[in-house]
Amino acid sequence: MSRDSNYDHHISIFSPQGRLYQMEYAFKAASSASGLTGIALRGKDTCVVVTQRKVPDRLVVPSSVSHVFNITSKIGCLATGMIADCHSAIQRARYEAADFEFKYGYSIPPAVLAKRMADIAQVNTQSASMRPLAVVMMIVGVDEEKGPQVLKVDPAGHFLPFKGTASGAKEQEATNVLEKRVESIPE
Amino acid sequence: MGDSAYSFSLTTFSRTGKLLQIEYALNAVANGRTALGIAAVDGVVIATDKKFASALVEGEDVSKVEAITDSSGFVYAGVGPDYRVLVRKARKSAQAYFREYRETKPVAQLVKSTASVMQEYTQSGGVRPFGVSLLVAGIDGDGVPRLFQVDPSGAYFGWKATAIGKNYVNAKNFLEKRFQDDMELEDAIHTALLTLREGFEGEMNGHNIEVGVVSKSDGKFRLLTPEQIQDYLDEAN
Repeated sequence: MSRDSNYDHHISIFSPQGRLYQMEYAFKAASSASGLTGIALRGKDTCVVVTQRKVPDRLVVPSSVSHVFNITSKIGCLATGMIADCHSAIQRARYEAADFEFKYGYSIPPAVLAKRMADIAQVNTQSASMRPLAVVMMIVGVDEEKGPQVLKVDPAGHFLPFKGTASGAKEQEATNVLEKRVESIPE
Repeated sequence: MGDSAYSFSLTTFSRTGKLLQIEYALNAVANGRTALGIAAVDGVVIATDKKFASALVEGEDVSKVEAITDSSGFVYAGVGPDYRVLVRKARKSAQAYFREYRETKPVAQLVKSTASVMQEYTQSGGVRPFGVSLLVAGIDGDGVPRLFQVDPSGAYFGWKATAIGKNYVNAKNFLEKRFQDDMELEDAIHTALLTLREGFEGEMNGHNIEVGVVSKSDGKFRLLTPEQIQDYLDEAN
């Protein structure tokens, strides 16, 4: 099968250059699927997430349309991408957070949850049986020791803490605006 | 891993007898950020750069160099998420070893078991090889400093000094010229920094490089702080 390198566009195997096309396509889907742009930002004692609420039809109940979710009472998430995949990822995140609290007796720190979601996302990039989810999650919460945190998890399984970040259709433009103002974000 | 719906291997032999998925995985490694290691007579140093795509990233606590046991650590070149899987498995296996033998898992054993996992992913059903090469640094109870490289195929090699990732050919040539069998850890750290500088774009400082060191004097693997790295850089100038 690896002889036929056309499969590298269909499942999670390497291309001749060492790229993972399925993962790259998942990124594209996450950016353009909903046409939304999401922004997450932290300050000295608060985190903020912002995105558009695009109600597709006048008859749709507006409150049922949302890309902003609670994972626990202390951790929130802005999930951009294909909404069904977002729902799936959020449900898993809620389970992981609840399981952590059950096992260890304290609330899951945002960074630990982000790492767990990233590790779960990585499995889909290495195993052929499931495609990567077309979701970029921006997890926000206040860590007991480190203060407010914004962590972005992508379809590849990368995750990084950010002072401020954006995802979705206008990710680059939004990031440019944030980068110009990075100095005004406290350490 | 074996629970996928694909019960056949994705890595299969080509007509010419090659395992192309492994070769492609090596290409993914060669596209990754440079990492290098040097084994001195009294310790081992591993180092890599720490560059993020944006000034918005809070990079202080993000680290590519990771301790696996008290006396050994990994660094990598290639696909970051795959690396995390290997770090987790290696830590678990080291802990299981300790539970059974009440001794720290020796570096060579750690390398063998990690390499074995990487080989499994080149043969098992429905999975692709890991897109990382690892550099493993550590000192066992016998006080001998060890540096190993593990490739996506699961092959491993012991090295006196080596580099992986982008620009590894130049880095290895540089190391070959400067390496001496009687090199001490302090010299090795300086040489590692000089080698990193060869391929580095911009100014190196304590915040955009990572260095992991294990010294014979205390046998503990630790990451240098940004201040310590800056001191070494100032000395090297």
